[in-house]
Amino acid sequence: MNKKNGQEQVYARYVASGKTIEHLTSWGKTLAEMMNPEGKPEVLEGLLVLEASYANFAGIIAASFLAEFGAEVVKIEPPAGDPVRGVTPYGENIKGIGIPFLVEGRNKRYITLDLQNSVKDREDFQKLAEKAAIVIETFPAGQMDSWGIGYRQLQTKNPGLIYVAITPYGHYTEKGQKFARFPDADLTSQAGSGLPAQVGDPINSPEPYNWPLRAGMWAGWYISGLSAALGATVALLYRQKTGEGQMVDIATMDAYTCMVGFPPTIGFTWEKARPRIGVLDFILYPYGMWKCKDGYVVIAAPRDHDFRALLKILGLWKLEDDWRYTADRIPDVIEQAMVLYKAIEEKTLQYTADELVRKALSYSAKAARSKWRGGGVPIVMKMNTPATAMESPQFAVRKIFEEIKDEELGSLLINTNYIKMSASPPRVKWISCSLGKDNEYIRQKYLQKD
Amino acid sequence: MEDYFSFTADLFNPQKISSKPEVLTGIRVLDFTHVIFGPTATRILATYGAEVIKIELPYHGDLWRPATYWGKYWKHSNPLWHFVTQNKYFVGLDLKHPEAKKIIYRLAESCDIAAENFAPGTAEAWGVGYTQLSKINPQIIYLSCSTYGQYGPLRFYPGWDLLAQAASGVLSLTGYPDTEKYYKLPDYLGDFIPGNFGALAVLMALYFRNKTGKGQYIDLAQSEALMRLLYHFTFLHLTGRELGRTGNVDPTMVPASIFKTGDGKFLALACVTEEQFSALCAAMGREDLLQNKLYQNPFERLKPANVQALTKITADWLKTVSLEEVLNLAQEKGFPAAEVLDDWQICHDPWRRERGSVILFKDEIYGEIILAGPSAQLSKTPARTKWIARPVGYHNRIVLKKFLGLGEEEITALEKERVIGTFDDRPGLKPPIYYNLDADPIFNYGREVRQ
Repeated sequence: MNKKNGQEQVYARYVASGKTIEHLTSWGKTLAEMMNPEGKPEVLEGLLVLEASYANFAGIIAASFLAEFGAEVVKIEPPAGDPVRGVTPYGENIKGIGIPFLVEGRNKRYITLDLQNSVKDREDFQKLAEKAAIVIETFPAGQMDSWGIGYRQLQTKNPGLIYVAITPYGHYTEKGQKFARFPDADLTSQAGSGLPAQVGDPINSPEPYNWPLRAGMWAGWYISGLSAALGATVALLYRQKTGEGQMVDIATMDAYTCMVGFPPTIGFTWEKARPRIGVLDFILYPYGMWKCKDGYVVIAAPRDHDFRALLKILGLWKLEDDWRYTADRIPDVIEQAMVLYKAIEEKTLQYTADELVRKALSYSAKAARSKWRGGGVPIVMKMNTPATAMESPQFAVRKIFEEIKDEELGSLLINTNYIKMSASPPRVKWISCSLGKDNEYIRQKYLQKD
Repeated sequence: MEDYFSFTADLFNPQKISSKPEVLTGIRVLDFTHVIFGPTATRILATYGAEVIKIELPYHGDLWRPATYWGKYWKHSNPLWHFVTQNKYFVGLDLKHPEAKKIIYRLAESCDIAAENFAPGTAEAWGVGYTQLSKINPQIIYLSCSTYGQYGPLRFYPGWDLLAQAASGVLSLTGYPDTEKYYKLPDYLGDFIPGNFGALAVLMALYFRNKTGKGQYIDLAQSEALMRLLYHFTFLHLTGRELGRTGNVDPTMVPASIFKTGDGKFLALACVTEEQFSALCAAMGREDLLQNKLYQNPFERLKPANVQALTKITADWLKTVSLEEVLNLAQEKGFPAAEVLDDWQICHDPWRRERGSVILFKDEIYGEIILAGPSAQLSKTPARTKWIARPVGYHNRIVLKKFLGLGEEEITALEKERVIGTFDDRPGLKPPIYYNLDADPIFNYGREVRQ
């Protein structure tokens, strides 16, 4: 895009404003240094993490985050392998390993131990746990304890141990006990924590479109895994300070509820549940996707001046008087909100996505140059699919996708480098994840008789 | 030996939380963030004991203060804002004023962490970026949050949760195939999840600093944080196909969908393992499916035609049973199932209250409110809620006095020059109408106030 008329001019005006050459050089240097993680130290180098998750991706994902930050993560599997190796879209796999497992297999060591049946293997696990900083497990609540390798037993020999447990209903409370053996899945975590109830068309729309709808990704398992990694990291800081470990308990039925916090508070202040509102929004508007001539765009123009700017660029200024007030644009009467939605749609259908993006940008450029600051920044963007996101120069510059070669698995493209840190960034080092591939290495390194 | 659940009940006893230590005691955060993404990162630090000093523009405040659901306020506040801003110190400081810069730089000397989520370049231009603050305090950990990141051709594009969902490809994944609708992840999840990654990055940097003494700069782009949650890119690379929208069906396991039960309730049911699939077949009285060649191998079973057939069989069976019957069978036989819960059910669920993942909090200004608790329960250093949102500038005086040692006269002078300030008479910014701020000890320099 032409720099003179493009977005640089709009949003870079602060940065470019005079007397800052030295400053800009310094900042530019900081950013340039962040572009490559290689060769930099790793935060969790030298920490041993045992990932004994079973049939549950939340544990695998939590361990992946720690592995990216440099921990030595050892995944412990039964001799037949973790059953989630077989969980994969439409059965697509490489040598019997499903795609999600390949993606989250990063930077880990793989050892087989039959915790379920072998007393000797439990002893080996105990020995490993004596040297570990973190254990992550997803067995039924109390199962590891009954095998003699739960938090209660392991902490006696390793008081610095952080023990992360992930189950649907947690390791305490009456319900936690009653449903201790209840198995977990992403979809049940989504549903039980309140996500699908907010997605889908209004109740008077045709079935099944008015049903609650799942997020089209593993929202439940990824949130639970992230919460577990975050909880473990907080515990690591306490361990660093005091040498003491602790137990971290994750209930996957908390995932969405505790991530966004809206459901319990709205249940309390509004005293009822929100209805589903399709592609509308209940706080910000216009804020969503619209169909255009050649595809789909998202439009965000929620502030008063953004909204007015949007009306101008779409040639809808005649509506300004009717939709003056924010509260009118976000009514709890869906029919009213749909009137505005349709009015905007009528216009977006007349333009291509690129035309709409250009209109918004050139308006914003003018508004930014104006001394009057109330011009607004209506944002219009073409919706990406994973395929178009992969072609975006932005993410290429930022090395979000890396093709990693593995002797056994071949070449695999995975998503990485999602946090840029100047001194100790996370990174992906390898992707190999065959069952028991590090049996020898782990036994040599940690289980040698003294 | 003591019963395991008595052991854990004591370990996680909610009554004992307030007497347990906090991990981040003594860690100070200079917080320039606004709306949801940045504030979520600092909120997590605040719930683990950090002193988070939230800087707002006097008389305007955070952009999200007045933006509540369908314009419904609660006690003249935005009820949804309380969760995101709990335990923070609210300082109204006008950065355009040179005196305000001096205050920021003095605060930066004693801060461990700073965070911002303006459009890239803005914090630097205002003189509160990493370049400036790291000169004052080289050990500082500085988190910059943005939609596309601090470098790259799109860096100056402004963004919201929605734009991150659209840029990352996430938005294109929720909905029904062959329709013209793409549903957002609800409730600004595209801000909240990246916000949690922000907290993770900061905590990692803190761990690193404790080891090495080195601070650092963190550039977190919310679109990239969302991309980390997708296996879809690898699927595309391997198969040359987009997964696209699959409605309620999770294509990674089978059956896995949201169904309607005989009594008209919505239920999520998913079989992750072979055992769970067998358990479901037993519950349905359809053990014959296990003998069917099409369904014996897990990869084979996941072929689209088989998914369709098994989803239909399950849906038809669920029409004949009630929600309660299914949940009992799931418990007895061992397959994952859960009712689709809404706001009201989650708010009033006794299990969440007992667990502490939904809490009834009693606030000194606002009285009782129900909030979500922490995502992770820690036995020794649990997260906790100490206070909820406060009006703009509520902590001005106490922060300047206690943290910077300014005298009350100096503070009054700053107020007169409008370097620091409070709130306009607008809902979301001001205290509840019944509340008398003049009698509030914290607002008044932390001293006892005669009632």
